[in-house]
Amino acid sequence: MADRKAELERKKAKLQALREEKDRRRREKEIKDIEDASHRTVLSGGDRKELDDLMREVGVAPISDVFSSISSANSLTPEPSRNHTPETSLQPNSLPNNVTALKRKIPQLTVVSVQSTNIPPKEVVVYTKQTQTTTSGHHDVRDAHATDYYDEYNLNPGLEWEDEFTEGEDEESSLPPHLGGFGGSKLPPGILPHGLPQVKEVQPAVTALEQEQQKKEDLKEVRELSEEEKQMIILSEDFQHFIDRAGRIMERALCENVDIYMDYTGNFGEEGLDEKSHQRISFQRNFFDDRWSRNRTVTSLDWSPQFPELMLAAYNNNEESPNDPDGVVLIWNTKFKKTTPEYVFHCQSAVLSATFARFHPNLILGGTYSGQIVLWDNRVQKRTPIQRTPLSASAHTHPVYCMSVVGTQNAHNLISISTDGRLCSWSLDMLGQPQEILELHRMQSKPVAVTCLDFPHSDVNNFVVGSEEGSAYSACRHGAKVGVTDTYDGHQGPVTGISANGVQGGIDFSHMFLTSSIDWTIKLWSLKDSKPIYSFEDNGDYVLDVKWSPTHPALFAAVDGSGRLDLWNLNQDTEVPAASVYVEGNPALNKVSWTPNGLQVTVGDNQGRIWVYDVAENFAHPRHDEWNKFLYTTQELRNNQVVDELEKLNISIPSMPNSSFSSMGPLSLTPMR
Amino acid sequence: MAQEVEETMKRIQSHKGIVGTIIVNAEGVPIKTTLDNTTTVQYAGLISSLADKARSVVRDLDPSNDLTFLRIRSKKHEILVAPDKEFILIVVQNPVD
Repeated sequence: MADRKAELERKKAKLQALREEKDRRRREKEIKDIEDASHRTVLSGGDRKELDDLMREVGVAPISDVFSSISSANSLTPEPSRNHTPETSLQPNSLPNNVTALKRKIPQLTVVSVQSTNIPPKEVVVYTKQTQTTTSGHHDVRDAHATDYYDEYNLNPGLEWEDEFTEGEDEESSLPPHLGGFGGSKLPPGILPHGLPQVKEVQPAVTALEQEQQKKEDLKEVRELSEEEKQMIILSEDFQHFIDRAGRIMERALCENVDIYMDYTGNFGEEGLDEKSHQRISFQRNFFDDRWSRNRTVTSLDWSPQFPELMLAAYNNNEESPNDPDGVVLIWNTKFKKTTPEYVFHCQSAVLSATFARFHPNLILGGTYSGQIVLWDNRVQKRTPIQRTPLSASAHTHPVYCMSVVGTQNAHNLISISTDGRLCSWSLDMLGQPQEILELHRMQSKPVAVTCLDFPHSDVNNFVVGSEEGSAYSACRHGAKVGVTDTYDGHQGPVTGISANGVQGGIDFSHMFLTSSIDWTIKLWSLKDSKPIYSFEDNGDYVLDVKWSPTHPALFAAVDGSGRLDLWNLNQDTEVPAASVYVEGNPALNKVSWTPNGLQVTVGDNQGRIWVYDVAENFAHPRHDEWNKFLYTTQELRNNQVVDELEKLNISIPSMPNSSFSSMGPLSLTPMR
Repeated sequence: MAQEVEETMKRIQSHKGIVGTIIVNAEGVPIKTTLDNTTTVQYAGLISSLADKARSVVRDLDPSNDLTFLRIRSKKHEILVAPDKEFILIVVQNPVD
């Protein structure tokens, strides 16, 4: 019991402290009064209790029997007096004390009711508040409610306590405790009439709305402290993590507007799908971010090997907003319908090429206009690169238009080539300096201004590059003849895109590659042949990129400056594209890329928009005989070419500069199979 | 950093049919909001206690489990709640047709 009492006291003290703090903030003067009052009560309560304890310890056993009768008589008398004459209620403090001193039996529990009189002094404070609050406003009312609630909370255990003691007693004793709760409110002489009814009403209300009121109180506190605290929270790292994660999830959730209330018995919506399914290529969606991609040319597209829905897009600088970072890299998610990028990265120099670090799902690499290679990590809350290569003669000092990660999980390198013909291979663990440097020169030690690069499927040593002077080159990194091994002349303007056939299948076509050029043409080459197998001349503008399908050996996509996206199926037709579509608004299309499954083509334009097109499945997926057919097609193209050339020779007009008779020779030059 | 928070809020807010976005802490105290004060306070208090309840339900059913997302669809609105250890993101949207 003593423990319990002590605990009660402690709680009381705690509450007291809390209340004091609150009050202090508002009205210091009043607090002082309150404090005084409350201190008094606490002290008196403590004293009395000590007395009680002492008395109980010392005198309980012997005198209890003797005074039992007296105590019952006493207990009856003081209570009514308290109820009926509140003016005297201050005095009962002493009276009951005497009573308790005399008795030790259960009936003395009236003493406990005296305890409840200890509490009232606090309530006095409360009530003074309440009268003020009712006139002043809402918040104070809430305060009063809350404190009422607390006080009541304190009273309740006291009541239980009494009940335990008064078990033997009659209904008489059970009444007083209830009244005792109100008795507290009587203590202030003047306010009594207001206090009584209000307490009665408040008590049930509080218990019912307990939670809500607590919350309201919390809210109120925050409103008081608010702005700075909020700012602190917002700047905290926890909050940053939270907003990053929750924001992402929320956006995905918001975009999943699947109509789960679909009623199939009702009307059907518009039936536009049928028409679509007949098309070989149909627009699906586009990616655009007003803040980060507006007015920026898409310079590079790449797909995550780990998460096939993630697309990496690099953007050139935005000339209209010189204050924004020049280089921007966005990661888009094609799986969710949300229209904002999954990640945003940027750096000071325009990013001309970007790629996922194939074996590190979190790392993104960018080649910049300044020649630096930069590295972002999506695990850190940072949009700027976490690493970058030095800007020195030991690395690139010219723009890096092409990069590729080659090798295997355990041994892979980043290959980057700048427009001064320097190839660097890097270890991702050490971007401080390149592992090896290779200068790509054309025969007379003239550096090759490389604009594009491709590695044939699973090859790490041999590669093809396109150059500004209009030639394509094959080269190798290691071996007997390091550097440029072969030259493929044919284009009249800079080569903009190059793509090696990477489809696996019955027949290996990895020696076939395509180049696109400013000269309005796309050319099909074989590494074994220094002149093109075929030239596609259906475009009426700069052809800015070309890419083989990853699944179909004879299918490729090309984009041009007039906003046209072409899909060529060489097994169907070599004169005109099998499917072509003009992108809305006819922006110049700078980059094209296939999803890894070959079912979608994405194109990046010069205004910062990326367009995703679905390719019909029956069109994107090869049939079994496509490989043989393609072999036959290329053979046919070659034959036609020979015929053409013979005709030309007969007329003796040498049109192709470097191609005369070379078809016989270079077969042995490049062992690229 | 604070700017990214703004950006995220703006991004969410820019979705079609969004009525409001509120971020509250574990006690149900609003930290950021796009709604007016009374509505915010109301949503913050009610939703956070609902999220608490939902979380305790999930955890009671399987102590190793935890609540990750809460979606409430009503005739007029949809309330999306992304609860976290210390904060809760609440988004109210009108159904988009």
